[in-house]
Amino acid sequence: MAHVKATKLNVHGFCLNANGTIVRIPRSPLPLNQGNRVHEWRVGSIDDKDTIIAHLEQILEGSDDAHDFLRQRAALMVDEMLENALYAAPRDADGKQLFAKGGKRGLLPEERITLRCSFDGERLSLEVSDSWGSLSPETVQRFIALNLAEEGAEGDRAGRGLFFMWRLMDDFYVSVQPGEATAIGGALPLYPHPDEKGA
Amino acid sequence: MEQPFKIDIRKGVGGDTVQFHGNIDAHADQYFDDLLKQISTNRIIMDFSTTGRINSMGIALLLRSIKSIKAEKKAEVSIQGLNQINTMLFKMTGIFMLASEARTN
Repeated sequence: MAHVKATKLNVHGFCLNANGTIVRIPRSPLPLNQGNRVHEWRVGSIDDKDTIIAHLEQILEGSDDAHDFLRQRAALMVDEMLENALYAAPRDADGKQLFAKGGKRGLLPEERITLRCSFDGERLSLEVSDSWGSLSPETVQRFIALNLAEEGAEGDRAGRGLFFMWRLMDDFYVSVQPGEATAIGGALPLYPHPDEKGA
Repeated sequence: MEQPFKIDIRKGVGGDTVQFHGNIDAHADQYFDDLLKQISTNRIIMDFSTTGRINSMGIALLLRSIKSIKAEKKAEVSIQGLNQINTMLFKMTGIFMLASEARTN
């Protein structure tokens, strides 16, 4: 499957450290195509989510606990990435969200959503891109700060999906060409830090 | 393929066991509306042993539901049957501040 190289300047390309602080600007996308097979899916509707996750779980085959936990994390990341691209990214001129989560959702004629991954046996790289470019660095940092606040576990806390991505993935990054494209990605290690095993 | 989402409630002497089957996401919203009405005791065990993925929307539904059960039914809520990733999410989002982990057999 083809790896699509980004040819335009990333106007807002950044990654966030463990404190939610922007640490490098701009940051290049993950090297998804360096020696490992890149799997790429063009998303047509929300109905594709379970099919993509099932394919990804096949790529991450392995019967031990580490592979099982990697499959669990990968499924969640893809779920959040696609929900974000399908429902949170599409905005009108006033920044209002166009589609409500849970609704039936196909792509608009000019819209493109692509999910890519590669797995080298110890590290799964994931990236989702959409053709909206509606995310700002300030929004990402606000969502992470909001969800880091431990007091009061509100049900409807904004940006929780993005927070999960930042929390679970190594080298989490966001690359935005305002009004044109957004790419969000990072990597899941097969053997995560002991603090991040959920035990 | 994952099984469709549904909630089963089993009445028991130690309280009601609420079993969540399938993925918990935005599509589960309507099922949570009915859950509160079906709770009849003040001891609730939420069982996630047949649950698949719980995404951020699912976490929001669970937080709302547990808060409602505690506030309106004056019930104690405990949790069992979590897999590794869902345990991690519950820790990250404060669900364990609202509901304790039940001892499993």
